[in-house]
Amino acid sequence: MTDSALGSGTVPGGTGEPMIVVEGVEKWFDHFQALAGVDLVVGRQEVVVVSGPSGSGKSTLIRCINRLEKHDRGRIVVDGIELSDDIRHIQEIRREVGMVFQQFNLFPHLSVLENITLAPRQVRRWPKQQALEKAYELLLRVHIPEQAHKYPGQLSGGQQQRAAIARALAMEPKIMLFDEPTSALDPEMIKEVLDVMEELAGSGMTMIVVTHEMGFARAVADRMVLMADGEIVEVGTPEHFFVNPREERTKQFLSQIL
Amino acid sequence: MDTTTLEPLAVSERTPPKRGLPPRRWVKENLFSTWFNGILTVLLAAILGWALYKVARFVFVDARWEIIEVNVTNLLVFRFPREEFWRLWVALYVLAAAVGLGTGVAARLRGEEEREGRARSSAALTTLRRAAPLLAVVGVFLWFAKSPEGTVLVAGAAATWMAARAGGRYVPPRHARRAGAVVLLGVAASYLVVSAFGGVGWERWGGLLLTVFLAVGGIVISFPLGVLLALGRRSSLRAVRLVCVGYIELVRGVPLITILFLGAFMLGFFLPPGSDTPSLESRALVGLVLFTAAYVAEIVRGGLQSVPREQTEAAQALGLSPLKTTRLIVLPQALRAVIPALVGQFISLFKDTSLVFIIGLTELLAVSELITKQPEFLAQGLIIETLVFAGFVYWAGSYWMSRESQRLERRLGVGER
Repeated sequence: MTDSALGSGTVPGGTGEPMIVVEGVEKWFDHFQALAGVDLVVGRQEVVVVSGPSGSGKSTLIRCINRLEKHDRGRIVVDGIELSDDIRHIQEIRREVGMVFQQFNLFPHLSVLENITLAPRQVRRWPKQQALEKAYELLLRVHIPEQAHKYPGQLSGGQQQRAAIARALAMEPKIMLFDEPTSALDPEMIKEVLDVMEELAGSGMTMIVVTHEMGFARAVADRMVLMADGEIVEVGTPEHFFVNPREERTKQFLSQIL
Repeated sequence: MDTTTLEPLAVSERTPPKRGLPPRRWVKENLFSTWFNGILTVLLAAILGWALYKVARFVFVDARWEIIEVNVTNLLVFRFPREEFWRLWVALYVLAAAVGLGTGVAARLRGEEEREGRARSSAALTTLRRAAPLLAVVGVFLWFAKSPEGTVLVAGAAATWMAARAGGRYVPPRHARRAGAVVLLGVAASYLVVSAFGGVGWERWGGLLLTVFLAVGGIVISFPLGVLLALGRRSSLRAVRLVCVGYIELVRGVPLITILFLGAFMLGFFLPPGSDTPSLESRALVGLVLFTAAYVAEIVRGGLQSVPREQTEAAQALGLSPLKTTRLIVLPQALRAVIPALVGQFISLFKDTSLVFIIGLTELLAVSELITKQPEFLAQGLIIETLVFAGFVYWAGSYWMSRESQRLERRLGVGER
């Protein structure tokens, strides 16, 4: 695949088969336009890192993909299902799309194990044993098997975020969305979370990651997207981005965070 | 700004400081630290001692408790036909078995969750401590009743409760739901034993029996109703929201007495002619429920608002339906946050049941007043004895609820952020 193809937002990377299609999406909060016509296609097994100054619409974009926000214009198709007001479509998409939040958002009244088994049991209707086995397997994968019976309040930030990743993975999603997963963490805990995400990317998961961790982006991203003022400013491979950015906004942004 | 550098602490100083004081020094430092504090201590001790003496003298010497002794049965059930008492005893035993089973099953479920439970031997002591206020009431009633049969029967009921509780511990957790159904059946059966099959309907209940029935019934019905109203008030459907807000604001703006009066004297006007008017007791219960539900709704709404929106989003992102998000994620956190206020409302309800006397029902407080008008006690100022007695029963019940709520808070607070 040529560099110019990867520089386009509408040609999927990964296996080339489109998983997420975003077409001309606009989103308004009262009189503030958060998304001003965004086009982006993400391919199967592709890892896309979204960056940009705060208020540029990065979070809004991924929150539209699982309908935590409703887009006002345009089209979003996830794994062949178009997001509409039909609640069944929304539920179907949410089952296939996992999300990790900046503030972890674990359920404080449930133990780590219950946090993880809740959705598989309630939504996928797995029997208890199957859900438990899956949970232990995931806790091993995120390296916190010893925290299974603790409550979120008893865990460090990094452990909470890894538990949150395990919770999202328990639904066996096809796509994972990360909304600034390390922004609320103390510096010494960022790496343990990024390591888990890197392993996940290596396993072939389709991912959109909103982050300012440029080291992670350079190592893991197939494509990078820079957003500003609700629009996509530039799309490209990490090499293109860090070595030879095209747009002035990109250069300016990179000079500020690097 | 002070510029002197601080010396680093010596290593030996890095143990936590001792905080306790020997009793002698504690007394000196806290009660007699200055001459003024010394005088205050002596003065307050004198006032306290005098008050205690007065109360003790009244309770153990001056009070003429024979009015209670003679009227134990009236205070307990009032007009309940004496020849049907066997029904109450049977109901008591069925209830003891059902509730005992329930607590046993629940204890085991919790035990399996916590794993780090304390030793079994202390469990019996804990149970005894928890039930102390209620046991005190039972003890006082038995003391006044001076009836060996009664004492034996009550002891038997307590033994039944303990046996059922021990049995409940053997129920494996996977049958917990079935055990719950058995408990509910038992409660229903105990009610039917009293009222059905030629038994005694609520219209002939009185005294403490009626008080407890109104309080328990009121709590059990008004709680879910209040939760529904609170959820309705936050509904995205405008019509539902309007109805709930209208109901809550209307009821909260009216005194309970007004609602009871309306139910008692005006309901007849609204019913189709010729239809049977429901009994005064059921109208009183409905009034208490409708009143309390509005307050419960506002308390629960406060709890719902305390749950961050991100909790809902996280549940939605996992694919949980709106109903399951509310039931499994939002409500448990909301209710835990408002346990103190909720129990406060239920304690209010328990004491407010005494207001039903104004529409002519004879619950505990009304009986306490009525018995002073019996010919042998008339105009002897014995209302003080009966009010102290009724007050003690209300206090014990309220105190028990308050302690149980603190226990519940501690237990649910495990994962507090």
